[in-house]
Amino acid sequence: MSAWRRGFAALGVIFLIGNAQAQTPGVTDKEIVIGLFGPLSGPLVAYGVDPLNAARMVYEDINAKGGIHGRKIRLVIEDDKCNPNELVAVVKKLITVDKVFILHGGSCTAAIAAAQEYVVREKVPYMMLNAAGDNAVFPATRYMFGSFQATQRVYGSALAEYAIKTLGTKRAAIIVHDDDYGKANLAAGKAVVERLGGTVVAQERIPPSITDITAPVLNIRAAKPDVILSGLYPAPAVLLAQKYGEFGMSAIPLMQANQGIPTPSVYAKNVGNPEALKNLYHTWAFNDIANEAIRSRWTGMYKKHFPEREPGPFMVTGLPSVLSVVDTLQRMGRDLTREKFVDAMEKLDLKTDTMTGPLQFGPGRRDALRSVVVIKYDGVTQKVMPGLFTWNGKDGT
Amino acid sequence: MNLALQAIASGIATGCVYALVALSLVIVYKSTDVVNFAGGELVMLGAYFGLLLLVWLNLPYVAMFVLAPAAVFALGALFDRLTLRRVAGRKLSKHVDLVPYVVATIGLSYLLKGAVRVVPYTEEVRRLPPLFSGPPVFAGDVVLQRQDFAIIVVTAIVMAGLWLFFGYTLAGKALRATSQNPRAAALVGIPVSTARMAVWGLSSAIAGIAGLLLAPKLLMTPDMGSVVMLAFAAAAVGGFSSLPGCVVGGIALGVIQNLVGVFISPQAIAVTPFFVIMLVLLVRPAGLFGEAVVLKKV
Amino acid sequence: MYGAPPRRQFLALGVLVIAGFVLPYLLPDYFLYIGNVLMTYLVLAIGLDLLLGWTGQFAFAHVAFYGLGIYGTALLHMRLGIPFVFGMPIAAAGAALIGLAIALPATRLRTVYLALATFAFAECAQWVFRTWDSVTRGPDGLRMSAASVFGFSVGNDREAMPVIAVITALVLAATFYLVRSKLGRAFCAIRDSEHVAAASGIDVRRVKVLAFVISAFYAGIAGGMYTLFQSYVHPDGLGVWTLVLLLTMVVVGGSGSIGGMVLGVLLIGILPEVLRAAPRGLLVWQEFAYGLILILAIMFMPRGIWGLFTKSRSA
Repeated sequence: MSAWRRGFAALGVIFLIGNAQAQTPGVTDKEIVIGLFGPLSGPLVAYGVDPLNAARMVYEDINAKGGIHGRKIRLVIEDDKCNPNELVAVVKKLITVDKVFILHGGSCTAAIAAAQEYVVREKVPYMMLNAAGDNAVFPATRYMFGSFQATQRVYGSALAEYAIKTLGTKRAAIIVHDDDYGKANLAAGKAVVERLGGTVVAQERIPPSITDITAPVLNIRAAKPDVILSGLYPAPAVLLAQKYGEFGMSAIPLMQANQGIPTPSVYAKNVGNPEALKNLYHTWAFNDIANEAIRSRWTGMYKKHFPEREPGPFMVTGLPSVLSVVDTLQRMGRDLTREKFVDAMEKLDLKTDTMTGPLQFGPGRRDALRSVVVIKYDGVTQKVMPGLFTWNGKDGT
Repeated sequence: MNLALQAIASGIATGCVYALVALSLVIVYKSTDVVNFAGGELVMLGAYFGLLLLVWLNLPYVAMFVLAPAAVFALGALFDRLTLRRVAGRKLSKHVDLVPYVVATIGLSYLLKGAVRVVPYTEEVRRLPPLFSGPPVFAGDVVLQRQDFAIIVVTAIVMAGLWLFFGYTLAGKALRATSQNPRAAALVGIPVSTARMAVWGLSSAIAGIAGLLLAPKLLMTPDMGSVVMLAFAAAAVGGFSSLPGCVVGGIALGVIQNLVGVFISPQAIAVTPFFVIMLVLLVRPAGLFGEAVVLKKV
Repeated sequence: MYGAPPRRQFLALGVLVIAGFVLPYLLPDYFLYIGNVLMTYLVLAIGLDLLLGWTGQFAFAHVAFYGLGIYGTALLHMRLGIPFVFGMPIAAAGAALIGLAIALPATRLRTVYLALATFAFAECAQWVFRTWDSVTRGPDGLRMSAASVFGFSVGNDREAMPVIAVITALVLAATFYLVRSKLGRAFCAIRDSEHVAAASGIDVRRVKVLAFVISAFYAGIAGGMYTLFQSYVHPDGLGVWTLVLLLTMVVVGGSGSIGGMVLGVLLIGILPEVLRAAPRGLLVWQEFAYGLILILAIMFMPRGIWGLFTKSRSA
């Protein structure tokens, strides 16, 4: 081939490669555009603002250190209000108007599920921010990754496993809400209890807006359980502890899933009855309670980036997803396409000192965290109980 | 049997709070024909004002119990003066004149809720310390919190106070007059707009008191105003016109909710008040206690 | 006000339909999505205003009928294979029938009781959507497969927009004729004064019930439209907040006029998208802002923005 022809061929190849890179939305020579969103207003703002800020601070920190393989991360931030219609609008805007590379957001599984079909159809990698994600990761789709702080299935099984195996109880009463989280929690908890040889003597499904918890607690008491597994949200969780203390049931261990106890000290104050906390345990997906140094590291970083705001209890829940995204981008190098991102994310196996277990995906697996710890809280001190409780991937499906 | 007794006892206490909120709704409706959809948010405000006074300003409990409702009183009166007076006489489209009031109160409810939610302190679930704390009281196998007694007592006092006020004081009778016939009342020299403001203030203050009683039991979030639906159900039983009817309705509702939760399913608890509303309005639109429906003069 | 609708109204409809076919080639999905949402809200708002502004009935059950339209159309297609062209009218008719069942007792009630009873019905309906999970999949939400319209698969914004534009145009056209018909005049008469209307020989009760039924039918159609471009429905979206949003559109736009409805839907529908550009710290004030808008609108523009521009041409 003549030198001219070789020259042209080389130019052609360079042109093609350059274009292929330019074809990838959200990626240029100097930056990666990420769509970051969560509930920044509305009733669930507490689950969105701090976690989103936590993600922001990690991205900003990386940028300050020079970016990832020479590219800085540019964020387009939106508010989804934890509302399905809003989240779909936000996702469509980020993909078709802002042309982001990947989506990173969402604290409410029901809202995320609304956008799933579109995201999969458009083949855009989607990382949930801090939603539990049960309904959107089972069944797994190629593009949607989530459950970075574990699913309801994980919490339900962990509590059940601890109750039956470690505490040696046999008769479990399960109380959850009648929404999607409650369903998943109940299914897993029940499956584990029965698999380990116990019986579920009562299952109460109550509305999240409940004002008087007398009736469900009466039902539970009548069933004479020797352990109570709860998946309730903060306000009803306090009501439960109060009522069960009032009715003199506090000899029965009370196992509460993560979502019910955002800030343990506030929870204890709200319950207002130290008797009721004698036998309280809860799950947690982070090591910030076991290890004060880890907690102060993150809150210190938060205060540096957002001096006007005191980080709330859910701040750390924004960390695992952003750490996973950063890890994946770093592993990929300079050659970034959406498909390659999905492949790289699928190979995620990230062990951090912050999370109680490794963050992993795999072919057919889209929930990152399956191991949590159980903490005993008596109103004053939190004690991490020995053992790591891992969901086996089957219970409750 | 014990199950039922406990359900009933706890239901009475919670029901009294619904009754208080219902009283606040009915007072305003009887005097001004306005359905106050912001009633729940006024309850919520009372609770948060109370928390503010108690925790931030460190006031004694009694002082808070007086000042917080007073603050809500002022807010209610202000709302009437600023907004409702302007809305009065406005028609949505030609002649539908009640709708603007409802829209205004719905707007108020979102305004108040939104304003409270902006404060980061409210992101966490809070609790107001109860009026009486201490170990619960046992009557046989039935257990009641001391706060429950406080609720029942305060409700009774408020009821009695209102009965005396509307029945035997000049001001109260003047208020009744303005609700029955504003024109005639004005002719007789009753300052109708001031009377309206007073009614709104009074109704809001009662809602505020309900908030102070409810918050220790219920826990405080900016969304706690949703309890207003239960108050509507209670008021509907009373036909939206009878004060004693509210109390009976509230207590009945509290008890029914618990019994439904125990004997049918806790999932059905959420729908019980709405079912009750529909049933009562279907069977007896005037409620079990209300006067027969009288068409307003043309 | 009487006689055939003016030609300019049909011109507007023509523009709408053409836009529906052309825009999908010009705009990104996001704008098409917003357009589809707005058209659905328009049909909903007109339906609500039939009750509120035209017959003066303060009824809150609208969102329940919307939900019936959504679940009905989607399930008829997914469970029974009934294509959209039949599924939507059937679901809407079902909603209308339930509307009839509600209307018969409800129209006996005075305003506050009507508001309360219909509100209670809407909450009960939402509870049913949430609890009857063998049918609606309850709190997990219902994933809807693409609709089938005359054999074409319609599952995304681009495919749905022409269909939605056509449906909206048809609904608007029907409404133009409705308000000019004898029934439409009866609506106005009742709104102005029930006694006088009755004295003129109008069967007040019957007309009120009809308004209810037609309004429910509109809501059912809007529900069908939803299934064309959305892939998921959840009971949480069928509650009070949606109703308050609709109410805001009706009030701010101008109750009692179709132009008002268009204006209200455009303004309030675009509002959240406009607010997206707000500085992040202000986002949390949105709820407060909605409440304020409602209050200010009702205080200073009770006839809505449309009412500011048109002096009352006797309705």
